[in-house]
Amino acid sequence: MEVMRAAVSAATGWTALPLLVVLSSFVPGLCIMLLREEQHALRTTLNLVGAVLKVLLVGLMLWGVALGVRHEWSFEVLPGFELTLVGDSLALLFVTLSAGLWLVTTIYAVGYLEGSPNRTRFFSFFSLCVTATTGLAMAGDLFTFVLFYEALTWTTYPLIVHRGTKEAVQAGRTYLVYTLTAGAFLMVGALSLNALAGSVDFQAGGMVAPEAVAAAPGAYTLVFLLLLAGVGVKVAFFPLHGWLPVAMVAPAPVSALLHAVAVVKAGAFGLLRLLHSIFGIEVATGLGLAQFVAGLAAVTIIYGSLRALQQDDLKRRLAFSTVSQLSYIALGAALLAPTAHIGGVVHLVHQGIMKITLFFCAGLLSETLHVKKVSEMGGVARRMPLTMLAFSVGALGMIGLPPLAGFASKWYLGIGALDSGAGWAIPVLLVSSALNAAYFLPILRTAWFDDRNAIWQDVGRGRWLEADWKLVVPALVTAALALAAGVFAGAPWSPLGWTRLIVERGVL
Amino acid sequence: MDEAHRGAGGSVSLGFAELLLILTPGLPAAIAVLWPIARLRPLLQLVAPWAALPALVLALVPTAEGASWATVGVMTGLRFEVDGVARAFLLVTALLWLVVGAFAARYHRDDPEKSRFLGFFVATMAGNLGLVVAADGLSFYLFFAVMTFAAYGLIVHRSDEEAFRAGRVYIVLAVLGEIAVLTALFMLGAAADGAPGFGTDMARAWGVVSEAGHAEGLAALVVFGFGIKAGLVPLHLWLPLAHPVAPTAASALLSGAMIKGGLLAWIRYLPPEAALPTVGGALIAVGAIATLYGVAVGLAQDDPKTVLAYSSVSQMGFMALGMGLAVRGGAAAPVAILAVVVYAVHHAVAKGALFLSVGVVDRIPLRRVTGRWKTWVLGGAALPALALSGAPGSTGAMSKATLKEAVYDLAPGLNGSLGIVLTAAGVGTTVLLARFLLLLMRRMERREGREATEPGSTERSASFLRATATLVSPWAVLLLVGVAGPWWLPHVVPEVGGAGPSGPLASWATASATVLGGIILACVVARWPAVLLGLQKIRVPAGDLLVPVETLVRRVGQLHGEAWFAGGDLPARALKRGWRLARTVASRLADRDLLLAGGRVVGCVLLLLVVGLAVLLT
Repeated sequence: MEVMRAAVSAATGWTALPLLVVLSSFVPGLCIMLLREEQHALRTTLNLVGAVLKVLLVGLMLWGVALGVRHEWSFEVLPGFELTLVGDSLALLFVTLSAGLWLVTTIYAVGYLEGSPNRTRFFSFFSLCVTATTGLAMAGDLFTFVLFYEALTWTTYPLIVHRGTKEAVQAGRTYLVYTLTAGAFLMVGALSLNALAGSVDFQAGGMVAPEAVAAAPGAYTLVFLLLLAGVGVKVAFFPLHGWLPVAMVAPAPVSALLHAVAVVKAGAFGLLRLLHSIFGIEVATGLGLAQFVAGLAAVTIIYGSLRALQQDDLKRRLAFSTVSQLSYIALGAALLAPTAHIGGVVHLVHQGIMKITLFFCAGLLSETLHVKKVSEMGGVARRMPLTMLAFSVGALGMIGLPPLAGFASKWYLGIGALDSGAGWAIPVLLVSSALNAAYFLPILRTAWFDDRNAIWQDVGRGRWLEADWKLVVPALVTAALALAAGVFAGAPWSPLGWTRLIVERGVL
Repeated sequence: MDEAHRGAGGSVSLGFAELLLILTPGLPAAIAVLWPIARLRPLLQLVAPWAALPALVLALVPTAEGASWATVGVMTGLRFEVDGVARAFLLVTALLWLVVGAFAARYHRDDPEKSRFLGFFVATMAGNLGLVVAADGLSFYLFFAVMTFAAYGLIVHRSDEEAFRAGRVYIVLAVLGEIAVLTALFMLGAAADGAPGFGTDMARAWGVVSEAGHAEGLAALVVFGFGIKAGLVPLHLWLPLAHPVAPTAASALLSGAMIKGGLLAWIRYLPPEAALPTVGGALIAVGAIATLYGVAVGLAQDDPKTVLAYSSVSQMGFMALGMGLAVRGGAAAPVAILAVVVYAVHHAVAKGALFLSVGVVDRIPLRRVTGRWKTWVLGGAALPALALSGAPGSTGAMSKATLKEAVYDLAPGLNGSLGIVLTAAGVGTTVLLARFLLLLMRRMERREGREATEPGSTERSASFLRATATLVSPWAVLLLVGVAGPWWLPHVVPEVGGAGPSGPLASWATASATVLGGIILACVVARWPAVLLGLQKIRVPAGDLLVPVETLVRRVGQLHGEAWFAGGDLPARALKRGWRLARTVASRLADRDLLLAGGRVVGCVLLLLVVGLAVLLT
């Protein structure tokens, strides 16, 4: 018994755990790169072993953090420049999300790309992309963050242009123009911050000293805006969102991962770090910058929903919905009340599981029935009831209907807005809900109640399910998660419960 | 439930009543959740119509009152409790779901989409039963939302253009309502530090809100948000559209049980302690106007189900009026709440039975049925119609007497004017239901005619007797329950006696006078075709006020549906388009046809408003 307890405490408190979590996808990614195209079995095995291993390691870390351990691993790259990985409760929230969703997306991607060319390249970069995401989630300072942030850009690019069509290459170019410019801003911002404050370590409650800010408010405002421009592209703030809908040409699993965890969440997470770990929300509010971010988020929320309303292409509609939903996170983070922070941070997870479900379903429809537009979806639910059931759960959750995950986020955001005296945010949230309803509910109506298209009868049926099980099961799993995250929101192990722990511990 | 039974930390030991309380929303919810599993569906289809059974038993067991149950992990903690109000609502709601479930199982037997219908049916049931026993603002909202959105599936079941139109109007209004309710809930939640429990917790939250000076605005949001479900004029637009297109079983539930959810919400969210004179006064006025408005527009309808829908609008007016009295506050407010509960119970049973009678007319197997079936069905349908009119010795007379008592106690100043309105609306209801019975008769004759040309078209089952029994017996049960109402109603809501200032004798006299007056009026109208002809010419499209609104929306949509924003996302472009849109809207607004159509309806409404207000102010 004693031995076991000692073993547990040793394992959960192992300082190298953050590094192992990063390596668990980095090593398989490199190995896959060396494989030949036809070595399917080995490639899939490597992928799955990496994904499962990562989930297990993250589970160990979660256990440790719940017991109060703080994992930290650092390595001096250059004198004065350290690579620091920290596993605190906030980092782990994001890491758990990416590890979990990576596992299901891997299964989905194996099914989705069956028989298509260049899978070695795809899966290799797929693993590296998640490596970058977990790395930036656990980054302990701004330099480590920037490193992984840039790595994420480079590893995602091959995934976006994977199909190699003219459209895909064009989208990839747009993506690079946006994100590389942003990366440059972020780098300049980080260097200026280092020069100004003498350090770039993340610290709960803010790293910069309020006195220093009071002495040079202009300089700090400039640094903030530089960093905001850097993360604002990936979080798709209103004038910087152009790349996201274009990137829809990527294969469905990539879109799913892009919209749920990888790129956009990296931006949102960066914004959280910027507001809470670098400046601190009080300082940012004092400079009027938090209010600026909140206003920007409000505009983006409404704008994204309005644009989603006009799209007939299903994936494009979902993309604009992402633009809108990401700003919920930003809005919650930028308000001055713990309840609002809970709402914003938990939406990081909730939006992820709901949106990945929606993209899985969109991929299922286009892969199985070649249905890509909302106007072609008439009666599709009669042919693919499970898919549309998962889609419905995701869509209703996005609208924010109880008892789904979206409602829990909205509830905390709403209460938080009132707590922080930002009553103006309530109409924004509610108008956005109405717009969400306006672009999601017609899809559901068309799918469930319109006439059945006879051509579909037996197209693409799987042996047991309405389509390939590798596509259907991940969608059902994430839909069940979206339901469970809402229904059991009050439990301590739910995303909401964990987020409350984060805020209570003062990590944010 | 005494303290000894309560465990530590708020958890309650599971007695029989608690078990039933869990099953009340739990059983239908579990069935709905399992519905997607195709292999289980044959079994679930058998169970689904009976899923309201635990709720009915709970309403009947003597230990029900005080039973409570709370979950910790579910959402932010769901709480359920049975108090007097919940018990009364639970009794009729569960009864209706059960009876209508049995009816629907027969009615949809040959429906190819039966499975889909039952799926939405059982999900809606979970929402409806759950909200009745919910004990705090958030739990109520959860089940209310489930009911609202699942009911969409029932309304559009027929899946044709008309059904989709009704569904669209319903869902747009429902989303607007959700938004208003959620805003209110945010404010109450911020005031109460979390979801406010009903009763003292809610009253305290109102105290905080009214200190901040937001009370009346917040109450207006609650009235608006739930008023959509309750069919409060002018938010009733979806009601007359949805009822005729929904399958009969669904319309019976909509009018009988679901719109009462909006009413119950008012009772729960607007405690008398909040004391809101402005909103209360407005509810009284709107309720009084609605009682007349529903009758007036209902008389200009040709579909019996639309007539019943407008009758519901009118009847909900009575209940809104009672709520208005309660919301104004004061020591006697509970009397008004009592009156509203009694009225709701009475109306649920009567209106459910009336809708089922339409279903019976549509589906009763006609082979071997002699001409006498019409007499029986019509006679049966006349029973709830008489009750709604307030015939002496019926539940209607009791509930009207209780309501009048509340008016007398709470608003002596309005006694005279409201008395006139209530009497006029009572007479109007009698005329309206006479019209319903006439239309029902015409429907029977048309069915007989159809049957004569293509015999057996609606009857594919071998066993004629069983078909008749399974279809008619649910309806008969509701009729019996309704007739026996005066006996059981005082047991459900103990304070009902009708022994107030008006006295049993006086109420008997007024009730008789109201019904007689209505019948005489109906006869007069029927007797003189000339008068009838004049009335016949007036036709208001179902959905009345909706028509001009829809026209406007459609024209704006046609102009810019595709082009709007399509070109790109430069703000300048949007601005230019916005300007062009505004200009065209302005020019279209001057369109002659639209002005005429709008003018007619607005004229009607204004007239009614003036009449209503004049009556109120005298």
